[in-house]
Amino acid sequence: MPIQSAIESRMKRAGVLLILGLLAESLCLLWSRPLAFVFLITFGGLFIFLGVAVYLLAIASPHPPTSASMDRTE
Amino acid sequence: MPPTILIVALALLSAVLVAVVTFRPGLTLTRGGKILAFLVLFLLPVFVLAMGVDNQIERSKSTSFCLSCHVMEPFGQSLHADDPAYLAAAHFQNHRVPADQACYTCHTNYAMFGSFKAKLGGLRHIYVFYLTKPPAPENIRLHEPFHNRECLHCHLGARSFEQGAVHNADPDTLPAVKSNKLSCISSGCHETVHNVAHLKDVKMWNGAN
Repeated sequence: MPIQSAIESRMKRAGVLLILGLLAESLCLLWSRPLAFVFLITFGGLFIFLGVAVYLLAIASPHPPTSASMDRTE
Repeated sequence: MPPTILIVALALLSAVLVAVVTFRPGLTLTRGGKILAFLVLFLLPVFVLAMGVDNQIERSKSTSFCLSCHVMEPFGQSLHADDPAYLAAAHFQNHRVPADQACYTCHTNYAMFGSFKAKLGGLRHIYVFYLTKPPAPENIRLHEPFHNRECLHCHLGARSFEQGAVHNADPDTLPAVKSNKLSCISSGCHETVHNVAHLKDVKMWNGAN
């Protein structure tokens, strides 16, 4: 798989997790019951944490140099 | 604290931005796009989550939040008892505690991490309420004896407390109260707090209308 598309697919995964987390948070904030706090932490917090972690891993994981960058270093 | 609706709007806007950055990856090829992706996929969600948690924690301090579980309803009614002997009612009706945070003001712990411990206690309440059979309101007891520190947080140094006739009738009383050796709500003192078992016999006061 090309490097760019590998990063893109990880970022898509991160994006989906973040969207789920943000939607869960919105619903919990609109729901005024004690259980909403638990759901906010477990679902909203978990999805957002996972989304951010996947994104950070995607941009921080080492990538083999592309031919273009090798050309620049020579 | 920003209103809940603003945080919800920010969360939804963030979700839209995340969708744009995620499903149009061409945007992130430039340096500016990468910075935008970092803002949208990292900083903004973390910020929105922190705002949401803060909002929920603040909301969980409200009287209406505590009374939203039906086993707590009699405790809410006890705040309206038309009898000055009812300690919680006297505090609530005379605004000795903020009316919108009446439960939290007395039932939090004014020691280090007190707020955090109060919230952990709240999680335990949720567990008991949803996953076990909650006790009848008249059988609900505190996890641990009420500490005078919570009363002294406001009353210490107050003239009515320090120079009150009953408090000074015996020179040992005030030192014992201040060192928590004699409970403020002990028998013969301020013992009628919520007294939910006998509420049906009490006249109610429903505000100065």
